[in-house]
Amino acid sequence: MADPMKIRATLQGDTADVRILMRHPMETGTRKTSSGVVPLHFIQSVIVQHNGKTVLDAQWSQAISQNPFLGVRVKGAKSGDKISVTWTDNKGDKRTDEVAVAAGS
Amino acid sequence: MKKTWLKWSVYAAVGLIAAGCASYPDRATTQQLAEKMVFDAFSASPEHMKRLVQDRSQQICSKIGDEKLTQAEAAEVVKLARASIKYPASGKLVGDWKTGDKLAHNGAGDRIRNGKVENRKENGALCQNCHALAPGEINVGNVGPSLTGYGKQRGNSEAIAKYTYEKIYNAWVYFPCSNMPRLGATGHLTPEQITHMVAFMIDPQSPINK
Amino acid sequence: MEKMHSVCLAFSAAAFLAVAPPVMAQGNDLSVGRKMLVEDNPGELWIDQGKDLFYQKRGPKNVSLEQCDFGMGPGKLEGAAARLPRYFADTDRVEDLESRLLTCMTSLQGFERNALIKQAIGRPRTKGSDMEALALFVTSKSNGMKVNVTLSHQKEYDAYKAGEYIFYRRSGQTDFGCVQCHGEPDKRIRLQDLLHMTNKAGAQEVASTWPAYRGAHYIVRTMQWRLNDCVWQMRLPDLKYGTDYSIALTTFLNHRGNDAVMNVPGFKR
Repeated sequence: MADPMKIRATLQGDTADVRILMRHPMETGTRKTSSGVVPLHFIQSVIVQHNGKTVLDAQWSQAISQNPFLGVRVKGAKSGDKISVTWTDNKGDKRTDEVAVAAGS
Repeated sequence: MKKTWLKWSVYAAVGLIAAGCASYPDRATTQQLAEKMVFDAFSASPEHMKRLVQDRSQQICSKIGDEKLTQAEAAEVVKLARASIKYPASGKLVGDWKTGDKLAHNGAGDRIRNGKVENRKENGALCQNCHALAPGEINVGNVGPSLTGYGKQRGNSEAIAKYTYEKIYNAWVYFPCSNMPRLGATGHLTPEQITHMVAFMIDPQSPINK
Repeated sequence: MEKMHSVCLAFSAAAFLAVAPPVMAQGNDLSVGRKMLVEDNPGELWIDQGKDLFYQKRGPKNVSLEQCDFGMGPGKLEGAAARLPRYFADTDRVEDLESRLLTCMTSLQGFERNALIKQAIGRPRTKGSDMEALALFVTSKSNGMKVNVTLSHQKEYDAYKAGEYIFYRRSGQTDFGCVQCHGEPDKRIRLQDLLHMTNKAGAQEVASTWPAYRGAHYIVRTMQWRLNDCVWQMRLPDLKYGTDYSIALTTFLNHRGNDAVMNVPGFKR
């Protein structure tokens, strides 16, 4: 059910500029449609790892918009390093995607 | 052998002529083609299809590109516009500015979706979409000139009230083919609603004049 | 008393200056935010969705869209969308990308045209329609290339001129043609910038940024949707899908937008 993320990680000096696009409804639990209130459904946690080491551990709330974007700058990165992103939502759904840091231009 | 050569060169010539004949249609042909496209493009009841029929003024005011409005055409549009003006039954041109304020910020009304007109109490006056209104308001458009201080600059005499009423009812009286919708003349707003807009414009207490 | 009065005047003058009149989006904080949205566009997530649909065997005939001719020959995608709308001999009409997709999905895959049209425009906050994803995927194959709408067949000339006529045609209780909102520079409706489409740069933006992610709807939108939404605000009736009217307008605008570099998905409010 969880859709793939789109991750770009570009080296700028010794910092990887990581840009992550996620696909998720991020329902606030207060939106009403003709069939009633749409239940709460949002990404609760986001973990970003650099070569297996956690560099960002975020707790999100339903205040974040649908199809969220996350930008992270990871210091001490090298070209080819692994950046992996995992999100977990309040229904227990999970998604992990990873990408290699690309050399900057 | 010679006959085949001749046949093929005739074909080629015809082909060249046919290809070379493609060109921009003239204005009359364009109009014919486009009008047909317009009336084939919408899914609507006969009543709603009327919205696509142009009145005389709209026909004049649909100049294409650099086409100019002639003096005679402008005069005709003004004449038709003046003839269209209807005043409220009460004769009172200045209504309630608080009601006008609400209407000015109301961009809804009379839009059609899936064959149905939207369910609204009344049509909004759409002002905020195109005009700056009270000083400091950010969420306002600039398609039309700023109305901030409208009443402060002009006062609120009977003459100004009448001018303002007429301008909102049918802007083309004073500016033929203006970009502004002829809100009263087309029936989008009622005369009574327009009196509230006039008050919103000229009442010294209105936020526009603060 | 007099001193207090002049202080009050000074204060209100300063307050007025501090609360500036509505500013143009360009060159202030709004434009920074908008630039960021374009650079990381959730619409990109729809490209793979469209790609899967394109290569999947679908419909009653159980075939993919690989043999669809978008104008450069069956199966040739690179640069094809940048040349649309154009005349197609098999349908004897000028078609834009969406009508071309309808043609291929019906003739190649056997889908029923009205059924496709019914689903063509997705609901906000959903995965969107197949058409939206497919249109984005095919157009993305022209990314980086120049818009190149040529007029050679008579029907292409006709479409261009008819589109121009329609652009200026005023009707309904708003007295609006397209030009009322899109005929001058630096205009906006409330805070939504209006493209100056009678100007080269404005036309180029129209031609190169659709399909686009509509932020407020959380979904990818197409030119057919955009035209439908415009006529809604103009208080005109429901615009049918894939009409000559819409294709004529698109031909007019895209041809005027020639040489723009395709960059989809665009990002709209």
